[in-house]
Amino acid sequence: MRGFDSKWRDVPGFIIGITKEIWEDREIGSLRKRYADGLIVRSPASVVVDNSNVIAATMATLAEFPDRELLGEDVIWCDDPDGATKTSDAYLSSHRLFCTATHTHPGMYGAPTGRRLAYRILADCAIRDDAVYDEWLVRDQSAIVHQMGADLVDWTRDLIAREGGPQRCVQPMTPANDVAGPYTRRGNDNEWGQRYADTLRAIMAADMQVIAHRYDRACALHYPAGHDAMGWAEADHFWMSLRAAFPDADFTIDHVIGRDDPLMAPRAAVRWSLHGKHSGWGRFGTPTGAEVYIMGISHADFGPFGTGDPTIRREHTLIDETAIWKQILLQTGLHE
Amino acid sequence: MKGFSNQFNDLPDYILKITKEIWEDRGLATLHHYYGKDIPMRFPSGLVTGNASVIDGTLATLAEFPDRYLLGEDVIWSQEGDRYLSSHRIVTGGTHTGHGAFGPPTGKAFQVRTIADCAAKDDVIDDEWLIRDVGGVARQLGWDPKDYAAWQIEQEGGPDKCTRPFHPSHDVTGPYTGRGNDNEWGGKLADILQRIMAKDFTVIRSEYDRAVCTEHWGARNGWSWDFSETDWMRLRSSFPTATFEIHHQIGRSDPGTPNRAAVRWSLTGKHSGPGFFGAPTGAEVHVMGITHAEWGEWGLRREFTLIDEVAIWKQILLHMGES
Repeated sequence: MRGFDSKWRDVPGFIIGITKEIWEDREIGSLRKRYADGLIVRSPASVVVDNSNVIAATMATLAEFPDRELLGEDVIWCDDPDGATKTSDAYLSSHRLFCTATHTHPGMYGAPTGRRLAYRILADCAIRDDAVYDEWLVRDQSAIVHQMGADLVDWTRDLIAREGGPQRCVQPMTPANDVAGPYTRRGNDNEWGQRYADTLRAIMAADMQVIAHRYDRACALHYPAGHDAMGWAEADHFWMSLRAAFPDADFTIDHVIGRDDPLMAPRAAVRWSLHGKHSGWGRFGTPTGAEVYIMGISHADFGPFGTGDPTIRREHTLIDETAIWKQILLQTGLHE
Repeated sequence: MKGFSNQFNDLPDYILKITKEIWEDRGLATLHHYYGKDIPMRFPSGLVTGNASVIDGTLATLAEFPDRYLLGEDVIWSQEGDRYLSSHRIVTGGTHTGHGAFGPPTGKAFQVRTIADCAAKDDVIDDEWLIRDVGGVARQLGWDPKDYAAWQIEQEGGPDKCTRPFHPSHDVTGPYTGRGNDNEWGGKLADILQRIMAKDFTVIRSEYDRAVCTEHWGARNGWSWDFSETDWMRLRSSFPTATFEIHHQIGRSDPGTPNRAAVRWSLTGKHSGPGFFGAPTGAEVHVMGITHAEWGEWGLRREFTLIDEVAIWKQILLHMGES
């Protein structure tokens, strides 16, 4: 960890440590050094440029959810030798967080509902020189909205209005408004990452039969909207209903990490995207023809079990369904 | 796998395959082969003997929940010579479409965990300890576990005739008398449970990962330290003077799998405090428990513990009926 504070024992230690310092220990000002100048944070809902805006967004979130806790469930990371400098090593970390919070104050989500929330975030951060310098983040917005007791489409329609209407509202991330950042690498070539990427490619090519071969029969699944499930039929249903809504969209694997650490199951983190028309019946209702960009992040744990062939025993996949609905509503005029 | 059919690669493979064959593939009659003729099966609800009873029990369950599925989440196992002990954690569910232990069909679906400790030798399971999350099933089918226990007593012919929940005084010695293995992770889990039961609740914050996910009886789960601490406190507080015993412990460090452990334990003593079971009644209660755990780089990351709340309520209600 050349270039990092010696108090961090490793990449997961750094990621989990600064997350706690920033959010729970209120060292929000530390973002001025923990987040590099000009840093780009891409989430499906927006593309935020510069750490001053990240500080503002962090404070807005904490004003709305003061007791927010961020539990670091896993950090799947890789070396980034091409990103290293004379002064520092570089890494890409894919961090899975389980967040809890109480919605006690008004804010971006509307009037306080008093609801207790629990939802996941998957965040890919490029790090060097003791700082994050490029980021891609997917928050399980539909879990939050459902737990607040709202309907996903109605809430998104209200959000557009709260943000000033279709012309002035925050634009969801698309290739058109994405900003290229300094991190352009694609991960590592560990076999577990490749294996998971191949599985996702096969699923997106409609070879759904791979699920019964590559997932354990009792695979634990954690999907958007906080949906926890188990087994092949549930994996099949999630991926089928997503692909069915965007049957002709381009599927791209953007980043792949695999790891085989001594105390852990072999695991993988894949960032991917779907870009194309909402032209089919599936997870997003009546086809609208809207052009939609979806950034997804998926984590998988593998293990040898039963037959002894390693299969996926846990999968976590997140997309932001409010950002998808926002694109659909804005393009179809259904935001009215 | 000396003594076992060569269709099985290893013990987990054997356990997963025969479970599917018996239940989902409807091979109830294969229990004549796979289960010992005189097998003692210890459920918290009572001791059952012999594979004929197991077959009838399986049939009754399938008649009540024909679409019952059993997903094998993990098999944590130990070996002594040609004898094995498998602690099998299952996620199981089904739809209540038939008459049975939960009354007339409600059309409701349930999903809970079950942990079965099975002793196996020569292709045959001949000794067993099994905890189903009956409290979880009852709740999901619309019962309060206490009301369900009361209804069960009535259905079984009243307090004098009903099946007695398992108590060590009913136990028989079966063919398996092993205590597990001496892997360090089994020792670590046994130590954690011992400290909890010795009321040293600092153990959770020192040994559990801050992002731990705990899956407990009643089909309830929670994140981080608070849930686990509170649940264990409420359980111990219900039986504060009960004797805690560890009966069996397994640890495993398998390649490609996190370090993990399975411990079977019990609490035996008086219901003399508040917690999960209402005001203290002084009832003598035996609580059979099985805990599974998985560790990561930051401590214990996943904990699974089952007890049968309905069997506990039944003991309490039977005591209240007597006094």
